[in-house]
Amino acid sequence: MTTLTHDPARTAPAGPARNARGPRLGGPVWLVWRQHRAAFWTLIAAMVIGVLVMVHLRGQVMDFLAAQEPTARRLGGLPSEFETHGDRLHTIGSYLDYIPVLAGVLLGAPLFAGDLETGTAKLVTSQSVSRMRWLVTKLAVPAVILTLSTGVLTAALTWWWNPLKGFSEALSWTTFFSVTGVVPVAFTLLTFTVGAAVGLVLRRTLVSMVVTLGIVAAMGFLWSQLWRNLGHVLSLSTHEGVGPGAVQPDLPTQAEQQGQGTYFLTSSGDRLDWTTCLDEIENDRAHTACLESKNVVGWSLDYLPLSQMQTMQWLGAGIMLALAAAGTAFVIVWGRKRLL
Amino acid sequence: MDHAQSPYGSGTEFVRPPVGAAAIEAQGLGKEYRRGWALRDVSFRLPAGRVCGLVGPNGAGKSTLMGLATNMIRPTTGALRVFGAAPGSTEAVLRTAFLTQEKPLFRRFTVAETLRLGREFNPHWDQEVAEGIVRAGQVPLKAKVGTLSGGQRTRVAFALAFGKRPDLLILDEPMADLDPLVRRELMATLTAEAAEHGTTVLVSSHMLAELEHICDYLLVVANGGLRLAGEVDELRAAHALLDVAGSGPVPAVGPHTVIESGRGDGRPGVLVRLGGPVAYGGPAEPPTLEELLLAYLRSPDAPALITPSARVGDIHDIITRDRTKAVTA
Repeated sequence: MTTLTHDPARTAPAGPARNARGPRLGGPVWLVWRQHRAAFWTLIAAMVIGVLVMVHLRGQVMDFLAAQEPTARRLGGLPSEFETHGDRLHTIGSYLDYIPVLAGVLLGAPLFAGDLETGTAKLVTSQSVSRMRWLVTKLAVPAVILTLSTGVLTAALTWWWNPLKGFSEALSWTTFFSVTGVVPVAFTLLTFTVGAAVGLVLRRTLVSMVVTLGIVAAMGFLWSQLWRNLGHVLSLSTHEGVGPGAVQPDLPTQAEQQGQGTYFLTSSGDRLDWTTCLDEIENDRAHTACLESKNVVGWSLDYLPLSQMQTMQWLGAGIMLALAAAGTAFVIVWGRKRLL
Repeated sequence: MDHAQSPYGSGTEFVRPPVGAAAIEAQGLGKEYRRGWALRDVSFRLPAGRVCGLVGPNGAGKSTLMGLATNMIRPTTGALRVFGAAPGSTEAVLRTAFLTQEKPLFRRFTVAETLRLGREFNPHWDQEVAEGIVRAGQVPLKAKVGTLSGGQRTRVAFALAFGKRPDLLILDEPMADLDPLVRRELMATLTAEAAEHGTTVLVSSHMLAELEHICDYLLVVANGGLRLAGEVDELRAAHALLDVAGSGPVPAVGPHTVIESGRGDGRPGVLVRLGGPVAYGGPAEPPTLEELLLAYLRSPDAPALITPSARVGDIHDIITRDRTKAVTA
């Protein structure tokens, strides 16, 4: 903005020179940015460095792949040097798991607790800006920056992982389910909101950070246990018997098998688990007789195919965002009524 | 001063409160915390344009009253209005500035950034006034607030409150950590600003002698209730200090109400609230504000005295006000 476009209606004389580095902001947005700028700059710097590293490493692995035979590009078909490339991707992917934790503990928890602890919440609310606007801005500015940085990092990781999908066990879609697509952004927003709500209620920074860490860890554990339920489990069966010559059903490429191993399918359609007739396994004839007595006609297995990954991610993200919205509503209602 | 002229003699005659804008009006105001009532059944009216001292012992409910006026605390019973608007409403928020006892500031902000906070958050911000107050104390604008001395921080907090150009300025123990010179200077700034802009000021303080210099109105709270409210001159005129020689017996005080007798320090005598013409033979004179306040602080059970201008408006008052509103609307 040049001096010519300076608003002449502005009654207050121009203050000291604005910070040339920071974006030009006004009102509560300026305050939130100024108050948490160290955290925001750290986040942005981490994002830039992370993206640069990923672009570089992806370039390396793409060069490596280009040097390989096209037919070798599948699970187990690549030389052992590929492991280094796969490990790097896996390691950096697992770092992205920490973003939601950090967002909740370092950004969410101190957000209101800090202001309540030092009394600056009183300072701000006794100015002319409504409490509601302050609360909303305080949530919105970090949320936007978190969405942006997490989104960019996740996109870079997804872009890096896509050509290597399923090339090794460590690169399967289930390993990368929670660090690609929309999931990291949604989970980060959720943990941030949870941290903010905890800080608002507990009003002490350190206590809020510890409690948030506990809650976020519990949420992460629950998610890791439950996210597979978002998918629609498919089954695959054979009806050619289970004798020595019979072929077990083949798991589709990159699908993840569910349940307890491969089941035995009976003629009535029931499934018996893999321990059936295990006692007779030493003796082929007795084993076959045992299975026949139970009318076993083939094998059956459950799996989650790669094709469901995106649907499941969106479904999970939807649930997380709904919870985050509930958390936001709680912060606003609580903050308006019992902030001080 | 002729005490017989005092309009509060019998306490039965009715004097209409003057109709005018009230900066603060409280009706049956009460606040109960878990530990008990901090403030109970408080009704008063602070006319606009006054500099009002709020006095009371620690824990008497002063901060609670200020919190109620600034929407930091919600009342348990009753209601309070700031210029006729509910605390927390846009109108009330725009017209009120509040300096809390702790004077919280962002420690990592520079002084200039702290003033920018005021500018960004207040549409009527006056940068010149704010910078003037800061400069008068030689506080560098580039210094971080966390590195300033207590007095300098108070000055910055003052600048933030004044720069808002409020119609009602509420200051909770503003002078506690200032040296006498700075205290005097800031008090002078306060009175000058208030006089120039017609700002109503509500200031709580334990510095009774200093309140006398700046206040023309008074609210005294003790044990969660209002003990005194009204113009300083009228309150003083309604009392007398009856001189008693040495440790002689308390004289017959006739129609007067004894507020305090046998005082330990200061001038010896009996402080009474006048109930009629001074018939006492000995010398009688109006007490100083400090004497009056000390007497009431020592005798928290003394009957309350609310002068007419501090009484909550009756129905005529409300009708007049509503008519003015209808005309301006």
